[in-house]
Amino acid sequence: MLKQRPYLIEFLTAAGLVLAPFVLPWLGFAPNTVNRILVWGLFGLGFDILFGFTGLLSFGQSAFYGTGGFVAAYLLTRAGFPYVALALVIGMIAAAATGYLIGLIALRRTGIYFAMITVAIAEVFFFVEFNPLSDFTGGENGLPGVPTPSFNLGFTTLHFTTGWSLYQFLALCYFIGVVIALRIVRSPVGAVFSAIRDNPLRATAVGHNIHGYKLTAFVIAAAYAGFAGGLLGVLQAFMPPDAFTFDTSGQLVMQTAIGGRGTLFGPLVGAAVWLSLQDFLQAALGLGAAWKLVLGVVFVLLVCFLRRGIIGGLADLYGLLTGQRGVREPDESEPEVVAVASTPHAAIAAAAPTPVRPRPAGSPSGPILQAKGLTKRYGGLLANSDIDFTVNHGELRGIIGPNGAGKSTFFKMLTCEVHPTSGTILFEGRDITGMNVTDVCQLGLTKSYQVNQLFAGLTVRENLVIAALSGLRGKFRLDLFRSIDSIPGLSERVQQTLELVNLTSRPDTPVSELAYGEKRRLEIGLALATSPSLLLLDEPLAGMSPRERVETVKLLKSISQGRTMIIIDHDMDALFELAERVTVLQEGRVLVEGTPEEIKNNSTVQEAYLGGVHGVLAA
Amino acid sequence: MINWPNFVSQLFNGLALGALLALISSGLTIIYGTLGVLNLAHGAMFMIGGYAGYVAYSYTGSFILAVIAGSLFVMVLGVAMERIIIRHFYHRPHEDQLLVTFGLGICFVEIVRLIFTSQSQVVPPPALLQGITSLGFLFYPTYRLAVVGIVAVALGGLFLILYRTRLGMIVRAGIEDSVMVDSLGINVYRVFMIVFGIGAMAAGFAGIINAPVVSLTPGVGDDILVETFVVVVIGGVGSFPGAILGGLIAGEIISITSMFNPGYAYVMLFAAMTLVLVLRPHGLLGTQGRE
Amino acid sequence: MSTKDFRPGSAFNVSRRTLLQAGAGLIGGTVLPASIASRAFGEDKPAIGTFPAGTSGSSAFIGISVPRTGTYAVQGEDELKGYQLAIEHINSGHELIKKISPKTSKGVLGKELKYGVADSAAKPNEAVQAQQRFISENKAVMITGGTSSAVAVALNKLAQREKVIFVCGISGSNDTTGKDCVRYGFRQNFFGQTAAAAIAPVLIKQFGKGKKAAYLTPDYTYGHTVTKSMQDFLAQAGWTTVTNQVSPLGAPDYSSYLLNVANSGADVLINVNWGHDAVLSTQQAKQFGVLDRMKLVVPYQVPFIARETGGLMQGVYAATDYWWTIEDKYPLAKLFNDTFEKKFGYKPEWGAENAYVSFAHWARMVEEAGSFYPPDVIKAYEKGETIPSLVGDVHYRPEDHQCVRPVIIVRGKMEKEMKNKEDYYEVVEIVPGDGLMQKPDAFGCHLGDYT
Repeated sequence: MLKQRPYLIEFLTAAGLVLAPFVLPWLGFAPNTVNRILVWGLFGLGFDILFGFTGLLSFGQSAFYGTGGFVAAYLLTRAGFPYVALALVIGMIAAAATGYLIGLIALRRTGIYFAMITVAIAEVFFFVEFNPLSDFTGGENGLPGVPTPSFNLGFTTLHFTTGWSLYQFLALCYFIGVVIALRIVRSPVGAVFSAIRDNPLRATAVGHNIHGYKLTAFVIAAAYAGFAGGLLGVLQAFMPPDAFTFDTSGQLVMQTAIGGRGTLFGPLVGAAVWLSLQDFLQAALGLGAAWKLVLGVVFVLLVCFLRRGIIGGLADLYGLLTGQRGVREPDESEPEVVAVASTPHAAIAAAAPTPVRPRPAGSPSGPILQAKGLTKRYGGLLANSDIDFTVNHGELRGIIGPNGAGKSTFFKMLTCEVHPTSGTILFEGRDITGMNVTDVCQLGLTKSYQVNQLFAGLTVRENLVIAALSGLRGKFRLDLFRSIDSIPGLSERVQQTLELVNLTSRPDTPVSELAYGEKRRLEIGLALATSPSLLLLDEPLAGMSPRERVETVKLLKSISQGRTMIIIDHDMDALFELAERVTVLQEGRVLVEGTPEEIKNNSTVQEAYLGGVHGVLAA
Repeated sequence: MINWPNFVSQLFNGLALGALLALISSGLTIIYGTLGVLNLAHGAMFMIGGYAGYVAYSYTGSFILAVIAGSLFVMVLGVAMERIIIRHFYHRPHEDQLLVTFGLGICFVEIVRLIFTSQSQVVPPPALLQGITSLGFLFYPTYRLAVVGIVAVALGGLFLILYRTRLGMIVRAGIEDSVMVDSLGINVYRVFMIVFGIGAMAAGFAGIINAPVVSLTPGVGDDILVETFVVVVIGGVGSFPGAILGGLIAGEIISITSMFNPGYAYVMLFAAMTLVLVLRPHGLLGTQGRE
Repeated sequence: MSTKDFRPGSAFNVSRRTLLQAGAGLIGGTVLPASIASRAFGEDKPAIGTFPAGTSGSSAFIGISVPRTGTYAVQGEDELKGYQLAIEHINSGHELIKKISPKTSKGVLGKELKYGVADSAAKPNEAVQAQQRFISENKAVMITGGTSSAVAVALNKLAQREKVIFVCGISGSNDTTGKDCVRYGFRQNFFGQTAAAAIAPVLIKQFGKGKKAAYLTPDYTYGHTVTKSMQDFLAQAGWTTVTNQVSPLGAPDYSSYLLNVANSGADVLINVNWGHDAVLSTQQAKQFGVLDRMKLVVPYQVPFIARETGGLMQGVYAATDYWWTIEDKYPLAKLFNDTFEKKFGYKPEWGAENAYVSFAHWARMVEEAGSFYPPDVIKAYEKGETIPSLVGDVHYRPEDHQCVRPVIIVRGKMEKEMKNKEDYYEVVEIVPGDGLMQKPDAFGCHLGDYT
């Protein structure tokens, strides 16, 4: 919803901010309340990028709010620094730098651990502000006397004092904040942020250095917090020590959830609801201290029933009214699959270009992957033992083996998701043993998963964009302000992949609305979009109906043109049809290797393996 | 006051502080380990345990009844909370679980504030345990001394439940690998409810046991919650022995630092946590499994 | 507040006009709010702050922010009752008010007083937020708040900026009328340094010279200044500090601090904590046996501590603004105690007394000035006239707006000495304020402008 018409949201924001002083007084908003809402809103922009877009719930934002606020306030009061706007920027930089350092520690862990660590950090910042740094922060007295901004324009001087006068300055700051936030959210970095939120595992696997991106989001949030903290001092001519308390973080989290996470404007709406309810409950209803209970109940109800908060709820309502979301594609969209499938795959394959990543010149043949003596031990359990395995350029290799033969562990070692206990893996002549998934993907080796690992909250196209970005941008790049559409080759590659996996008719469908077969194809598409030179497919046919299998086998054939692939599957008929050579694993070892014909006729295989799985063969 | 007798006193005091932290943290960590839900309302439940006990005490005048009432009330509250709200969050993201328990915690605190106001309430220790005991090297309030013993017994009880019963085996297996337990055909949701009840009860029990030491205010659980986090992170999330070890370490850090400069007690506590995170990201006794 | 836009020549207005000349799109947004503004009213004084908008009707509004939750909630509620009683008396022209402010008939300059209450939780940010609302929405002509020096200092600065008079509630820090003083702020109660100056000679007389003292100090300015003042005064009699235990505000447990105190070998424990912290630390000091081995002193008495600690204040010395038994000496105090007890059912503590007197004094000053115009009211205070209060005659110093008033030294009565259940203290001495307080400029006060 943030990507539709260019500059529409920016324009609406500007219009809203200009109109606010004319409209809000009639709704009973005092200028100071509006200003406070703007400061919370700006604080929340960064937090929403962190929480709503990247999925990192931090309870420690007060640390950066306070850091930025006190640095700016200290400069403007005790140090006698005269330039308000510059001091705010310095405060912001200080907060961002602090965010970087804290992020290095806090982001060592994710999820709940991360949340707990941030709580602790918020507390420790409060102690530090109170104790060792009280000479600079004024301890519990805070720093009074923060001046308001004024700008000398040469011919005249602009003073922003209080009320609606200061509003202009704050509104401008908020507007700039929104513009920057929108740029970030729409940039490739923003796309990776949503990928991390939806599926960090896959974001790593398609070749993004998610730690770097998380740290980026953390620093962005800290910078926004720092700037907003400075504005709080300007707003009340006083930098309160409470800015550092855990309550500030808690209030921000609650306001964001109330307004709607992942919407950028959620925190602003949440703050408006919070502050006006606080006034209303205390003053008009005379509830006294019970106001917080009412807000708490409202918050819990929203979390339970309206996950995306007020803005999300309104958006859903709008969608419902205009009927956009109403027409869901039927989940078993077989007719469509059949229709597409009726086009000859050979034609698609012919149209499909070869991998974008250039092969190393002059070595179109010879081994692309060599594993020697791969062994994996889990405690006392030997999953893989002394596997030697070589795949040549352009080959399509199949791997079969009964359940528990160690196929998945073997794949995980090849893609470096799991590190072998002993043995080495060479990929294109380079030793990749012990490297991480991201780097290996960047080298051109990736896999599609047995169980779908998609970015479930995004559309088909967005999924593929995220995968394609890693190949085009590398594992980490800070092109925060670049439009995602301006990356050369991106849309072509996404289009190619859509064609390859037969999803051209549904690029803008959310993943959650895809049929199972479509999801499986997208799963393969994600791996393909990184343009691997070696593609591993872990049970691509798993869970498919017989008809879907036939289609997918055709699809795999067309994909395999000009690619090197390794496929694990239980469906031996399909595998024998596809693969040039087949490796049989049993009890963690290579049992035998050969052409499909050789395997079919191999007595050891028949005895040890085929004999036991008539069911599979029958299917 | 850096001298030998004081050092020994503080060492002992650290044990007393740590024992209580260990008890509260073990409730938090068991719930998390089994259900995968970090209960941010845990501090509020600790507080409610104190208030429930206070009410029982003011009607009956019996400390024993207060302890029973405090523990049971919070256990029932925990089970109700799990049944009505938490169970709908097992399949939602961790963030939503955090948000909803955070919100519930605020509601609990504010309800108590509404009923009992902000003024502090006092639950006196049982007559038998009032006064001061001389330990030779220091004089120590008898009740606080008893708290160490009471907590040790309570932790022992938890240990027996966790390590000597079928339920405990399931819980510990769940901490190791929740998917496996699922596939064993055990009614996981029933186990979840029971575990949530036990974890809540541990908080409630700690709340009423702690009530005579501090005085009760609605905010009494908030500070404890943060300390509990530190304990759990140090000990290893989901690890019962880790909670005990972490609790004792935290108690000693607070106490020993206080000997030099009390203002830095918390800073040192968080520094220790940071150190653990850098050196052993999964905590001292944590396993790689849960994240 | 928008009326001030029309005041010619004010800094604010000049900036506004140049701003409009600049006339950039977004910036133009202020024109309308300015034009909605009410007209300037009849009085021939220029508009400033909430004047004259706040008194254009038949009433005038006072913004009150006291802590109703948190560490200082108990003291805040007592304070609030004092404010409520004062407003009631002013509106009805009660005889007690007339004795302090003879020109009062009903209300202030004929305007009925209305008020709003907000919970500050003793947090400056909350207090400033609430008062800003009272000023902009209710056009408050006077604001008050306290029970925390941090709040008092923050509101000082707000008052100066908004040009609304701030009559400070409980605030014991030297800074409030010291380095953070403002032209628009006034303080009736005495402060840390004064308490120390008053109680130190009594302690020396009682306990002798060359004693060893341990301190429990809350970690904020109030605590540090009181401890420092006590140490300075007691050092003159050879007292030494064996330990100073600094604890954070709202600490849940004092065991570590008290063990340090217990092992320090001190003769006297000086507990500087305040509010709930004072109650809890004193109770725990008893639990740890510290009070059996050393004498307790509470330099600045905490309202309700005697009730809440149940007997632990027996024999303890403290300095206080007010204790109800001085009614034998001061008839106004008697009148106050009686009306207060009739309305609220208990004997007022010094928070309520301070609240009442500071409002009564403000009402007197407005009547004297004959106008709500803040600079005139301030100048009425700054005449420094000797005026009545509940503890005898007092005056405000024009240099720092601090009220010079006596300090009352009390000692906790033993249970058998108590004549009734609220007879917790015996008044040992009433020390006149003049010799006690530091020179007005000693803490670096610069008051700032009237307009």
